[in-house]
Amino acid sequence: MLTAEGIALSRFSTKISKNAPGKFAMKKNVVLSSSLLFLILLLFLLGGKAEAKTPWHWQMSLRTDAVVGAMNMPSALFVDANKDRYYIADCGNNRLLSFDREGKLLHSFTANDELKTPYDMIRTETNELWVVEKGLNSLTQIDSQAKKTIPHTLQYKERTVFPDRVEYKNNHFYLLDKASGDILVLDKDLTIKQSFTCPTEKGAGGFVDFKLVGKDIWSLDQRSKTIYHFRPDGGIADRIRLGKDVHSPVSLAISQIGIIYILDRLDNKVSSFDRSGRFKYSFLTAGQSQGQLYFPREILFDPWGQLCIVDEGNGRVEIFRR
Amino acid sequence: MRNQMRLSPLLLILLFALVLPAIGQASNPCFKCHKKQLFKKRFTHQPVADNKCGACHNPHVARYKNLLQHKIATLCFSCHEKSAREFSKGIVHAPVRKGNCTACHDAHASNVSSLLNKRLADSCFSCHKTTPQKFKHPHAPFAKGDCTACHQPHQADNGYLLKEDSDKLCFSCHQKATLQQKHPNFPKQPARCLSCHNPHGSKQKALMRNEMHQPFKQGCKSCHDKKQGTSAAGCLKCHPTIKQKMYATHSHLTSPGDGNSCLECHSPHAGDKKNLLKSSQQVLCRKCHEETYRRKDASPYPHPDAATCSNCHDVHGSSNAAMLKGDGNNVCEQCHKAQGQFTHPVGAKIRDPRTGLAVTCVSCHYPMGTEYKYQLKRNGQKELCMLCHKAY
Repeated sequence: MLTAEGIALSRFSTKISKNAPGKFAMKKNVVLSSSLLFLILLLFLLGGKAEAKTPWHWQMSLRTDAVVGAMNMPSALFVDANKDRYYIADCGNNRLLSFDREGKLLHSFTANDELKTPYDMIRTETNELWVVEKGLNSLTQIDSQAKKTIPHTLQYKERTVFPDRVEYKNNHFYLLDKASGDILVLDKDLTIKQSFTCPTEKGAGGFVDFKLVGKDIWSLDQRSKTIYHFRPDGGIADRIRLGKDVHSPVSLAISQIGIIYILDRLDNKVSSFDRSGRFKYSFLTAGQSQGQLYFPREILFDPWGQLCIVDEGNGRVEIFRR
Repeated sequence: MRNQMRLSPLLLILLFALVLPAIGQASNPCFKCHKKQLFKKRFTHQPVADNKCGACHNPHVARYKNLLQHKIATLCFSCHEKSAREFSKGIVHAPVRKGNCTACHDAHASNVSSLLNKRLADSCFSCHKTTPQKFKHPHAPFAKGDCTACHQPHQADNGYLLKEDSDKLCFSCHQKATLQQKHPNFPKQPARCLSCHNPHGSKQKALMRNEMHQPFKQGCKSCHDKKQGTSAAGCLKCHPTIKQKMYATHSHLTSPGDGNSCLECHSPHAGDKKNLLKSSQQVLCRKCHEETYRRKDASPYPHPDAATCSNCHDVHGSSNAAMLKGDGNNVCEQCHKAQGQFTHPVGAKIRDPRTGLAVTCVSCHYPMGTEYKYQLKRNGQKELCMLCHKAY
């Protein structure tokens, strides 16, 4: 409509110039240039809007072929920057999968069929593999040399810990306890040194995901739709309420410039917010086709700035880049 | 003469102003067919009393049933503006949420105050059919049919549309000192009354809920003095089959801090049914899954039998998507037996070209409800099929 308006303006200016070329030559130029300016402005605005709507473009899918069998309820992705590898916890098939940076499947690992519902995993700098095995309620060490699994059931404050998400940094494990919704910090001997608790405000439900950013922890409380930014000493640096723009937040990712990305499991989309919690834009929709989501589980950045989404319902990991 | 001329139009206006309404009342054409007597009851809605049928109805043609000019709620809230604002806050009663004011109120006249269709309790029970109406030992306000003694009929900030937090509400009639005397072994001020008492009534004295948890029968120390006794791990010690569910990919084991997630849904002491659920599934599940319910309610084609979540979902834990009891086929086949035998090819051998996963019922249907018939994800005439069958 606005473009048509622009065309109408230029037609109008042509008409004027035909009627009185000398007298209106100046006006013609003014009208033409203002029309041009208007069109440029329009293109800029529309372009800007499109950019705000879809700044992320589908890059590739990590998925398996019929030979190794489709993934069944993949639940987590771990990226090894040193080895340029993606690792996926293929939870429903009791196996771990590794892919190269181009998305080619490298290995399928079942620890001699001993893995029981591997939900999340990390690899230490010394190449030790640790897996959250939901089926055993354990944080399991994989001894790949001896081809052995060593499960560890943990206790904290006289309660059984139910491991959910795991991260590793500076010789410490960061473990999300599903039963309490707390993030526990464990040393390499699995002694719990510190805990980050979800403030028990009205409507709080415990953390469902967290990310380590520098020395800080960013965690997500699904029920109150609130992000807590913890300092290493446990103090809360920021509390960001997500409001009505998300319905079922299950995972969060923080970009290098501090933009917050929230994965919404019910809406099958990603919503982005600035550091003060202002909604910026959302993208992706529900479905099975490429770049669509169905009950997604986790969102994270890989070391190369790409946004990775573990798409549980579609049995794949979708990778997007700007 | 001039002054008289000036006065006469004024007199005429005055005369019309006095006489016209009376003429209007007497000659409201609606009542030529609709018996006016039917609109004369103890309480009459103001527009009816004022003979302003046109305030709500169009006498010639209308888009809405009963020749209404707008949807029911739009009409009501056009006058009851304050109510419209209030009813959008907190937990909203289902008929209010759906804009169905006439589910409880008569728009014209009633012999019951607040223009209720029926006596208050009868009006409530007309929808709340599973709520028992008679008890051996009823709670006094319940026996009187005074539901609004505890509940707010439109909206509330508390669950079950309670006027206040449940304990506060109990203490508004029952003196704390008296309650302390009746609970001599209670370690602190009696609280969480509904954990043991049914606020409507019971077979047992003192409104004790009908089903008691075995350890509670044996005494408080069965759980309260034991290590992990009151935590989820304590519950799971005695419920090993439920414990296994907590080891699934998805479970309802979630609670803040030192809370016990089992107690989110179950009472540890007593309940109305053997599963000791604190309420019906619809009320309980909705507490956390409000948005899912809102979408289901808003869907033109919701699943017709979705009141009991546990029919399809494993409410404790499951390794299937959406905590279903099985994969996207065998859950549906529980009821849709014919489709299980004869349908679009489904199962492990039939692969969805978009994902490589097995085709199941949920590849095409979203059982909670969609905008298409049969809870299809897209228009079933063509669009849905084309997602996979691109060559057609």
